Amino acid sequence: MGSGLSSFLLMCSSTTSVPAAPPESSLGDLPESVVGSVLVYLNPQEICRLASLNRAFRCASTAEFVWESKLPNNYDLIVSRVFDDKGFCSNVCKKEIYARLSAPNPIDGGTKKVWLDKVTGKACVLISSSGLAITGIDDRRYWNWISTEESRFRSVAYLQQIWWFEVDGEVEFPFPCGTYTLYFRLQLGRSGRRFGRRVCNSDHVHGWDIKPVKFQLSTSDGQKAITQCHLTNLGKWNLYQAGDFVVEDSKVPMKVKFSMTQIDCTHTKGGLCVDSVLIRPK
Amino acid sequence: MTSSKTIVLRSSDGATFEVDEAVALHSLMIKHRIETGGADSTTIDVPEVTGNTLSKVIEYCKKHVEAPNSDDLKSFDTDFVKVDQAVLCHLAKASYYMNIKGLLDLSSKTIADMFKGKTVEQIRETFHIKNDFTPEEEEELRKENSWNLFV
Repeated sequence: MGSGLSSFLLMCSSTTSVPAAPPESSLGDLPESVVGSVLVYLNPQEICRLASLNRAFRCASTAEFVWESKLPNNYDLIVSRVFDDKGFCSNVCKKEIYARLSAPNPIDGGTKKVWLDKVTGKACVLISSSGLAITGIDDRRYWNWISTEESRFRSVAYLQQIWWFEVDGEVEFPFPCGTYTLYFRLQLGRSGRRFGRRVCNSDHVHGWDIKPVKFQLSTSDGQKAITQCHLTNLGKWNLYQAGDFVVEDSKVPMKVKFSMTQIDCTHTKGGLCVDSVLIRPK
Repeated sequence: MTSSKTIVLRSSDGATFEVDEAVALHSLMIKHRIETGGADSTTIDVPEVTGNTLSKVIEYCKKHVEAPNSDDLKSFDTDFVKVDQAVLCHLAKASYYMNIKGLLDLSSKTIADMFKGKTVEQIRETFHIKNDFTPEEEEELRKENSWNLFV
């Protein structure tokens, strides 16, 4: 025994016999705290489902540490950005915080919506066309606002025709660490409903096949991306990718500026619906 | 040859195990007991854990303390949890009581994987989990689920 190797000595007690725990009840006997450790490895939907298994599971499914593991590291920053009530975090349990953040919440006067992506737990931001700086938006010869069910904001900006096409925007948000992609949600043609059917009016669609559109983004920490492409797919909503950016420090809100331009004034372009700009985890 | 200090761990059913102190310290609960127990504490009771389970826990700690960087650690862990449901549950409970994070994470994840993709009824049947809710609690649950925000 002196060689440094550990040795196991099993001295069986002759008087007591160990009653074997019935294997059938083992999982049902798990104490709440251990169940919580198991739930951490399941997704939010699964956790809510398993709450109806038995009492221990039900209790564990509301445990703070379980839901804290689903929230991003900087959830306190996100909560104060999204909700005005500064005491929100201290009054509310983590499960409730997660539930509230997973649903779209309006920010910046309702011009944007924010929610946590259920799969990655990272933030998604949707910026309405009403929150964008659109050149010539006030001139009804060029732009009009259309009400539509096809937008999360219930209305989109519709371009009849213009020479100088420019849409700019920006957002500042405490994004959790990760890589994000920014898209413009656009449609060539104006859709509506007739006799219960979806129809698309493409009368004004012109000029997009001549020169490509330029999508750009830049961040407060110096990242840049540029994409050029032609708009296509008449009558369908498309997400046009502007580029990616990476968030490395979730403690500092990231400011993202973005734009979409087609400023070749040798030709006009039109017949375009601009719904929104979407930022979501890659 | 230097003799390393050994600790004796005693399970709920009186089985004793002599282990190197370094291995025993892998359990933060034991570490705390040693640090607060004084110089004479060489036998530590672990009443929450039976001999069979404690033996396996020690095997885990030994591997992780003595060969933490070995290439086969991952396959050791994978094989370690290829046990029946009862043993797995005892390991999870023991690792919780003895505060051994690595083993708790390993056994918890294994149990979680067993649940994936199964309905509540399937899990109840497969793992013989008893529904211990009162009718009032069942009714409350039904109401809670109808408010489920995770569509």
